[in-house]
Amino acid sequence: MLSTKFSPMSKEEVDRKWWEIGDFFRRNSLWMLMYCTGCCAIELPPAMTSAYDMERLGMGPMATPRQADVLLVTGYLSLKTLRRLIYTYEQMSEPKYVVGFGSCTINGGIYHDSHAVINQLNKYVPVDVFVAGCMPNTESVMNGFIDLMDLIKNKKANGWKDYHERNDWYKANQKAALGEVKIHDEFHE
Amino acid sequence: MTNSMSNTEFVTNLVENQYKVLKTEVLDQYQIAFEVKKEDVHSILSLLKTSGWIQLSYLSAVDWIKDNEFEVVYIVFNWDKAVHIQIRTRLDRESASINSVLPIYPGCKYYEREAHEFFGIKFPGNPDYEKQLILENWDDIPPLRKDFDPRQYSDKKFSHMEYKNDFVNKDGKVSKQEAREKRFSDADKLRTGGKK
Amino acid sequence: MKEMKLFLGPQHPGMSGNASVHMYVDGDIIKRSYLLPGMLHRGFEKGMERHLWVNNISLIPRVCVVEPDTNEMAFAMAVEMIAKLEVPERAHYIRMIILEFARLSIHLMSYGGLGGPTGLYTLMYHAHTDRNTILNIFEKITGHRVYHQYIVPGGVRKDLPVGIEKDMHSFLDDLESRYEEYRDLGINNLSIQARIRDTIMLPKEVVWELGVTGIGMRSAVNKPYDLRKVKPYARYDQIEFDVPVSDYSDAYARVDCKLQEVLQSISIIRQCLIKMPKGDVRVPISKGQAMRWTVPKGYAYACVESSRGEFGYFMVSDGGTHPYRVGVRGASYPQGLLGVEKYLPGTRLDDASLWIDTMGVCSPEIDR
Repeated sequence: MLSTKFSPMSKEEVDRKWWEIGDFFRRNSLWMLMYCTGCCAIELPPAMTSAYDMERLGMGPMATPRQADVLLVTGYLSLKTLRRLIYTYEQMSEPKYVVGFGSCTINGGIYHDSHAVINQLNKYVPVDVFVAGCMPNTESVMNGFIDLMDLIKNKKANGWKDYHERNDWYKANQKAALGEVKIHDEFHE
Repeated sequence: MTNSMSNTEFVTNLVENQYKVLKTEVLDQYQIAFEVKKEDVHSILSLLKTSGWIQLSYLSAVDWIKDNEFEVVYIVFNWDKAVHIQIRTRLDRESASINSVLPIYPGCKYYEREAHEFFGIKFPGNPDYEKQLILENWDDIPPLRKDFDPRQYSDKKFSHMEYKNDFVNKDGKVSKQEAREKRFSDADKLRTGGKK
Repeated sequence: MKEMKLFLGPQHPGMSGNASVHMYVDGDIIKRSYLLPGMLHRGFEKGMERHLWVNNISLIPRVCVVEPDTNEMAFAMAVEMIAKLEVPERAHYIRMIILEFARLSIHLMSYGGLGGPTGLYTLMYHAHTDRNTILNIFEKITGHRVYHQYIVPGGVRKDLPVGIEKDMHSFLDDLESRYEEYRDLGINNLSIQARIRDTIMLPKEVVWELGVTGIGMRSAVNKPYDLRKVKPYARYDQIEFDVPVSDYSDAYARVDCKLQEVLQSISIIRQCLIKMPKGDVRVPISKGQAMRWTVPKGYAYACVESSRGEFGYFMVSDGGTHPYRVGVRGASYPQGLLGVEKYLPGTRLDDASLWIDTMGVCSPEIDR
């Protein structure tokens, strides 16, 4: 029996509603991947433990990429790490978000002229939130997470969609810097 | 331990009595440096090892590009006599190669691998010194040589941040900061009646 | 059974830092293993040649992330050794306070890190909270939580702020009063002891072969081989402290030594606060411009006792405004690379991360 107040919604509208509900739950229970790519990771333990207690924001660490929502790129990325980071990022299930920590992910920071460190993270992997500083202190780390939650709420954290749409562009950038994304060492043969 | 003789004197006597040392440098009471010929390095190191300098603290190289030479440095340490000894030797830059000290100090394995990776010095005797350790898919000359320019390499391979025009002072226009400073100085002038 | 390939890291909760251990395992026994370093390579040694001496002060703390102050100290000592510089008396004591606080902070961190591989997260939460208090004290002294850039060639950057002694004392008293609690929670805990007793042995005979220094060595050879005692730098010769040793180096003994060092560090800081004279804290390196100072020609190797062992800087100056070559001897180089290759085989798979944790393998200083 149809209520008089009920007007049938189109499929897009239903989808949108479901995404909104999903986003509500997602942003209140973000699992971040424990991958310490660089030195900014040293400010994460204080953020996680009693001093700042990240869990009150609904965030917690997660060991495997397939179950994690947020990839934290904590600081500079050498070429060797970037290869593994791309592996990790592509393993994560969607929707997924990336937070770039420190000046190094923005413009290379103190290592801007190094032969081993990339200068701009968002050419290789889409980044939703940057946290500036070298190193950013715990308050700004927490602030970055809150920003990310706001972005999810306002449907602006669309990095993972961008990675689909402009996949060729990202892949071309990765190839230009790395030569080849695939890892070749004794262990991967 | 002999009391009549300081540790550095003991080392100097030990080495200089048996080998021709090109240069001896006593840095302080805990450190001494010998510059020796390439042929003597291994026998000096084994002499030192049998005399108690059992720990290889550091092994690396310096690129003296003006002399067209590499300088290999071995630093060994004795925990009972507390003297760091630097053994330095020069190699020709074009065909830099020195036998590995692996039989004397097994700990040198990775130091030598790294020195090969960053300078291109060959260490025959070390089974896998040619394998890459730190870098991956490296495609240029060894990076710690003086003629390698990381800035150039970085510019070539990695794109830099391009700043939007808002952040750059467009030609001719007065920047906000300058305008603010002018406003403040004008205000000061008004306050003091035009006097400085 | 067939040999199997397994990774430990770089993305693994039991791995401290961004490095990877590659293992070939049979059942759960490791057959062959080696470390894959280089994921934190930033080209420091090249970068230092390209920066002014004064700029390097801000570059060097980043070599080892968890313990930046030993870097600053070793760098400053190397410069002072070449420049034949005498540091003011008060600066020596301030340096020692900073270094010991750094040692406390990293010991707490690695003791808490023991909670990772053994699954006792309570320990981690306790230790990190206390470490955060140290970071707050550092922030009051230096203005930074992690990278302080406080120990500079010629002394320290600024004098201690007024009234900081009160903060220090209250923290030290607090930590000391809860020391037994820490022990009970961690290494006296029977469930932890089952994991760390008699595992991950470092036999006495092989210590020299590896070149391991620091707690790893002292816990095996039973001699107080600590650089603070053997070749005292700063004013460690005027301070009384013991070096905890042991003759049976399993994971338990190493953690035990670490905890005893915590008490020693507390006592060192208290003695320093009493003995500290008044006066200047910094002398200029050379005359001339404030920023483009030069260091005379020469070679030097300066080393300090970090929490993981001998941490050294090899430095060559050609008399210019830039260093000619700076080499870093990472303290965890031997146990990280050679140790993983030679002494992990034969142990159980789940003990690999205990080796990384108790021997103190810090990947950024291996890679530089």
